Amino acid sequence: MAVPLMSFLRAFPATMEQGFIYALMALGVMITYLVLDFPDLTVDGSFPLGGAVSTSLIISGFSPLPALLLATLAGMAAGLVTGLIHVKLKIRALFSGIIVMTALYSINLRITGGSSLLSIPRDSVTLFRNNALTRLLPQAWSTLIIALALVLLAKFLLDALLNTRLGLLLRAAGDNQQVVTALGRDQGNVKILGLSLANGLVAFCGGVLCQQQRLFELSMGTGAMVLSLASVIIGVNLLKRVERLRDSTKVIIGALLYKASYGLAISLGLRPGDMKLVTALLFLGILSTRLLKGKEARDHA
Amino acid sequence: MLEMLNLRKVYNPGTVRQLCLFEGFSLRIPRGQFLSIVGSNGSGKSSMMNLICGTIQPDAGQIMVDGQDITRMPEHKRLRRIGRIHQNPAMGTCAGMSIQENLALADNKDQRMNLRPGVDKKQRQRYQDLLRPLGLGLENMLDARAGSLSGGQRQALAMVMCVMTPIDFLILDEHTAALDPKTSDLIMALTDQVVREKGLTALMVTHNLRYAIEYGDRLLMLHQGGIVLDRADEQKKKTRLQDVLDLFTQISIELGN
Amino acid sequence: MKRMTALILALLMLSLHLPLLAQETPVRIGIGQFANHPSLDNCRDGFLLGLAEAGFVVGENLVVDYQNAQTDMGLTAIIASGFVSNGVDLIAAIATPMAVTAVNTADGKIPVIYTAVSAPIEAGLAYADRPFDGNATGTSDQIPVRDQLALIRAMQPQAKTLGLLYTVGEVNSQVQAAQYREEAAAFGFEVVESTITTSSDIPLALPGLIAQVDLLSMLTDNTVVQHLDLVLDAADAAGLPVYGSEIEQVKNGCVATVGIDYLALGRQTGLMAARVLRGESADSIPFEVLKDFALYYNQEALTRLGLTLPDTLAPDLTEVTTL
Repeated sequence: MAVPLMSFLRAFPATMEQGFIYALMALGVMITYLVLDFPDLTVDGSFPLGGAVSTSLIISGFSPLPALLLATLAGMAAGLVTGLIHVKLKIRALFSGIIVMTALYSINLRITGGSSLLSIPRDSVTLFRNNALTRLLPQAWSTLIIALALVLLAKFLLDALLNTRLGLLLRAAGDNQQVVTALGRDQGNVKILGLSLANGLVAFCGGVLCQQQRLFELSMGTGAMVLSLASVIIGVNLLKRVERLRDSTKVIIGALLYKASYGLAISLGLRPGDMKLVTALLFLGILSTRLLKGKEARDHA
Repeated sequence: MLEMLNLRKVYNPGTVRQLCLFEGFSLRIPRGQFLSIVGSNGSGKSSMMNLICGTIQPDAGQIMVDGQDITRMPEHKRLRRIGRIHQNPAMGTCAGMSIQENLALADNKDQRMNLRPGVDKKQRQRYQDLLRPLGLGLENMLDARAGSLSGGQRQALAMVMCVMTPIDFLILDEHTAALDPKTSDLIMALTDQVVREKGLTALMVTHNLRYAIEYGDRLLMLHQGGIVLDRADEQKKKTRLQDVLDLFTQISIELGN
Repeated sequence: MKRMTALILALLMLSLHLPLLAQETPVRIGIGQFANHPSLDNCRDGFLLGLAEAGFVVGENLVVDYQNAQTDMGLTAIIASGFVSNGVDLIAAIATPMAVTAVNTADGKIPVIYTAVSAPIEAGLAYADRPFDGNATGTSDQIPVRDQLALIRAMQPQAKTLGLLYTVGEVNSQVQAAQYREEAAAFGFEVVESTITTSSDIPLALPGLIAQVDLLSMLTDNTVVQHLDLVLDAADAAGLPVYGSEIEQVKNGCVATVGIDYLALGRQTGLMAARVLRGESADSIPFEVLKDFALYYNQEALTRLGLTLPDTLAPDLTEVTTL
């Protein structure tokens, strides 16, 4: 028992790094799933889109931040398309996301110039290496600190946004789209905006992750939605009683817990191939404890 | 002033269930009039409200407001100057947001949708002043979720939200039908008060003949897409419940809530 | 006298303990395999054989932590960081995604020996003009395209068109397809390519490709190799020979190959790993390709398709029997 625990603890900083980075995407999915009540599968495509754009640009010599900015804009465009398909063509939310996600596979391949794998050279400047900031920070902790800073920045911006007039409208659109119309606003446009913002954040996350692992792999999007959804649901449900925390904080904690459970399972000797089963059981466990306790359920199951 | 000119609306055209609801329907409502509309199920009451608000489109004809043709105007644009309270109390407010947030949403109705703070803390006092006259205690529950309120409380809140910003018409679509008798009366009294105070043009669809008689300047009865009774002002005041009921018996509907 | 006895006894006791003192603490290595298929499995087995040959035997002085990522990138990252946080002495990475992740995660602190990486320079694991600086080296499974073309030409003097089936976006396949395109003309071949996205596309792509060509030649494409049986079924039905890219494929029914024995590749890699474990710097060893390509053929397949081996090739051949 001691050995697995030791190896889990030693891996803890790396687990936290992954948790913080993936939390960025979980925050994006929070916007669509929690706020807008829209099951958005675009994420499986916009996540690698951000990675493809950011990695290709860095390899061509772009600086990390402009590369991330363009990755974010690409993600926003993807979300915009999903929104347009849903609102203007009146196609169901789930299918709109699937359509865009499928199209993005080909688009991502085009962006990388046809390669399913891109490697960032060792001496390139990324957000996590060879830049002014990393020279200041202690090397063992620089990745963790930068990842934490990014996710906190994203969280504070998101919380601030949701309290603006626009943010209030976004929340209303997910709560009761009739009210949005009654307020004289086009609720379709509000949804499109929300989708755009969310996928921008998801693509940003993809770009950040690829810069951290210095590798882009075409299939990195598979299961991205499930992972993010798990983080959101774990965080929000586990911490349901804790009123003090905002939803965004709960989602970040959910992402950390999710990644930690992965790491723990591996330390205990579970095969990587069994991880999906672990995920499913985790989901089941958390969602059913709510039911068993008989609490008044918010209908976000 | 609201005008409906020669409206035609056919449901399920070309199918077995085809129903021509309105054919050449016209109606003129002067500014400031409080109109009660009654009629049997399927007479076209709700459809008329939907046509006015833009939820559905007529197949022919025009809808004019103060001489401006709004027939092609999208619903959300029309609702900028129209307030609508639905039968279902859940439709007018956001259940997951607090009373204060709902009021803030309504308060921002005319404002630019930008990144300024959504809820203005300084308005809290003002919101309480708006809620206090209702006598429902809502002014002490500003942070409570709208979803935790009773049906009557939500309708009252929806009413306040509707009239927070200037509107031309107030549409009340059987807005007391889902409430118990006591709350019904309360909301009805509130409605009358609000309409009088703000001098609104109001259209009230109701199943309750008593309300239709007691409140409003004009009484309209619809039957199968046509007007069978139209009494206004002095004529309406003289109309007794029994007269209307007799007419109703011919087209059978239930009395009261 | 007593002192003498005591001294002799002491020396005797000491000598009995010498073997124990000489015994090293076992070396710990992590083997990360990206995908689950026979070629990569052979690599792993060969790797362990190579290590054993060089004196590192599992159970004696070697502890192995073997993990398979099942082609999942997320798992690949976890496996790599697991090895690093467990402080293994060496990481063996099988296939490109695992290799790149391991090198990035280890960040030079732990040597990485890779294998089954088709294009190390393109993958950022080696430099074309100078030694690598990331504490990594390994072997590449580039296939000898020119030799393969020569074999095919010798076996089918009349054939004109050659078909390639591979996954769009798989880097090693693209590199190999490009090589075919470059070299084929010199042997009088025209190359026809068909690409797929996932394995479910294979049955859809095959009929069209087979109709246009005289033969098929396999690349080391992970997806297509994993579904070789589909390719062989369709090709056999049309009487079309399929040339493999490595020995396993010929065992499974391909007619012949000048190709890779992944077991041998793994063994070569194991020997390199042993050198690094013994103290050599990984960066001082340039990456290697398989030294010996052998010509493997499958008589049963040849007979079935009505082909014969030309006498000119006979001395270099190794017969392989169908599994």
